[in-house]
Amino acid sequence: MAQPGIRFEGVWKKFRRGERHDSLRDLVPALARRLVGRRTNAPELSEQEFWAVRDVSFEVQRGEALGIIGPNGAGKSTTLKLLNRIIAPSRGRCEIHGRVGALIEVAAGFHPDLTGRENIYLQGAILHMKRGEVARKFDQIVEFAGLSEFIDTPVKRYSSGMNARLGFSIAAHLEPDVLLIDEVLSVGDMGFQQRCVERMLEFKKQGVTILFVSHNLQAVASLCERALYLHRDVRALGPCRDVIEQYVRSAVRTTTVSRRGAVEIVKTELVDHRGCPVSCVTPGTALVLRVTYAAHATANNLLFGFLLYRSTDALSVYDANFGSQELQVGALQAGDEVVVDYHFHVNLTRGQYHLGCHVFDLATQEYTDRVCPIGALTVDESRTHNGIADLQVAPRLIASTGSLAGAAEAAL
Amino acid sequence: MYPASAGLRVVSLARTLVAEQIEYRELLVQMVKRDLLIRYKQTVMGFGWAVFMPLVNTVIFSIVFTRVAHVDTGLPYPLYAYCGLLAWNFTASSLRFAVVSLTGNANLVTKIYFPREIFPFSAVLVALVDTAIGSSVLVALMIWYRVDVHWTVLALPVIVLAHVTLTSALALLLAVGHLFYRDVKYVFDIVLNVAMFVTSVVYPVDRIGGPIGRLLALNPVTIIIDAYRDVLLRGTLPPAAPFVAAGCFSAVLLLAAWIVFHRGELTFAENM
Repeated sequence: MAQPGIRFEGVWKKFRRGERHDSLRDLVPALARRLVGRRTNAPELSEQEFWAVRDVSFEVQRGEALGIIGPNGAGKSTTLKLLNRIIAPSRGRCEIHGRVGALIEVAAGFHPDLTGRENIYLQGAILHMKRGEVARKFDQIVEFAGLSEFIDTPVKRYSSGMNARLGFSIAAHLEPDVLLIDEVLSVGDMGFQQRCVERMLEFKKQGVTILFVSHNLQAVASLCERALYLHRDVRALGPCRDVIEQYVRSAVRTTTVSRRGAVEIVKTELVDHRGCPVSCVTPGTALVLRVTYAAHATANNLLFGFLLYRSTDALSVYDANFGSQELQVGALQAGDEVVVDYHFHVNLTRGQYHLGCHVFDLATQEYTDRVCPIGALTVDESRTHNGIADLQVAPRLIASTGSLAGAAEAAL
Repeated sequence: MYPASAGLRVVSLARTLVAEQIEYRELLVQMVKRDLLIRYKQTVMGFGWAVFMPLVNTVIFSIVFTRVAHVDTGLPYPLYAYCGLLAWNFTASSLRFAVVSLTGNANLVTKIYFPREIFPFSAVLVALVDTAIGSSVLVALMIWYRVDVHWTVLALPVIVLAHVTLTSALALLLAVGHLFYRDVKYVFDIVLNVAMFVTSVVYPVDRIGGPIGRLLALNPVTIIIDAYRDVLLRGTLPPAAPFVAAGCFSAVLLLAAWIVFHRGELTFAENM
């Protein structure tokens, strides 16, 4: 069995908080400390330091794609820098086997006064491509970036999008064994982004080991089989969808506005038509969200909200408000309790979703309570339709010519 | 630890370091090209500057040391001064570029991996190209003063090698020093100004005499600059003992500097 492409073994990395001494004035105390034996890379933490990455271990097999997700400052980029040998771990070992390509800061080596052509050779060398290799792929690189017209223009006259496109294009023509990707999809226009995704899938097909850091959970889900949820330490590591679900559950916090408002949401239940709690359904299933409201004060003009989000990108899929009259709730007095059943059909394609609900007081123009998420919903199906809404498209053949003509007639 | 095993470790480390440079040689070439191209694009005189600087200094010092105070160098003074200034400028401008080479390329140092030695080394190579251009004026001066070229000129590559070795060692130390302590650049600027006058650049420092003169004679840059004059202008070989000592010193210093640089390499990004 071949050794894994990437191995992280009990890696810890600390950083300094605040200012670093960087003048000779601070040299004396620093040297004194060093003499006493406290090295800056010692395994213990001094008061001004913190662990950016704490006891992280994982492996990525050859040809596998692993996504790293987590909130800002969770140590995702630090992990990539450790792998890319830009910084060294305080403890533990990180290994990477084969030729490494990094789609990180793809235009970092550009010099503004050099032309696009000159920068391609420079950046190519920085990425450790041979001159002959760059020369051979030169036309492809320029074409991919869509910049053939401006290739002899100094890069300082490029727009930031053109700059990034050229940078990505050079990196995309590497022939790496291991590819590190950090949030590069945010550059360029739609057409270019599409090409980037295609290129990454192509890399994957060629058996390149991929480590993909992104906040775009949709992109992670489509590229990677496995994911790592990182928040300083490893929170979850496993099949992509499970990890994303776990991340989303923890990231989308229960938000409650004005506790003890006029009307409070005290209980929510997501059940099927038999009244059994559910969390995983097929498209089209009829479900009921049962919400119990408790009034703490008089309120008579309320809006009851029912919301549904796609978890992977917090896209608002459905957001509806129902007035007191519509629900025939009438005026509420302190101590009243109301139970409302929201019947709905899960006309959604496969993915992770979550529900939310709120109560809005039209008299005070304030939310009296707001709870989200109140139930995670996984929609699964054997057939893979992409997108969000399940439009229940039913194709029917109505005409055909040639040898199939008879079949079409029969079908009609 | 036994001294022998420590020695072996140094040798194997040195081998790794050199192998890595060879692997990344194309990047070194590209970096040198980048710096030369940019200067050529940004300035009107372009490579003319490589000739201009030592030439202006030669004129000034020729006036000072032939009209104001006469110094006997055993050679036509402009020839003596230009040769010294050309060699000195190589060291001075190498180091001037090298000292800020890491901090000035912060975006690369903190983002992309490749051996960081490339930065100070490319500073030295850029200065070497300038020196090669500037040497055309030296050739012109030698023709003008009818200097006979002797077989000793064959020793020139050895002297250049010693000079590049010494300069590279200092370049590595200054680059890494400046990264950790930004005062280094200011201290360096002062030291460089003083250093020119305690080195045999525009006058022979051994004329100072006494214990100070003996101390200054130990300066390896003086030994190397005088060696250039010996083989090019005087047609003699440099005194063997001091030159071999300077060469060995340079080699050991380069090895030590390189190891120091390599040890610090993985902390560069954090200390930027």
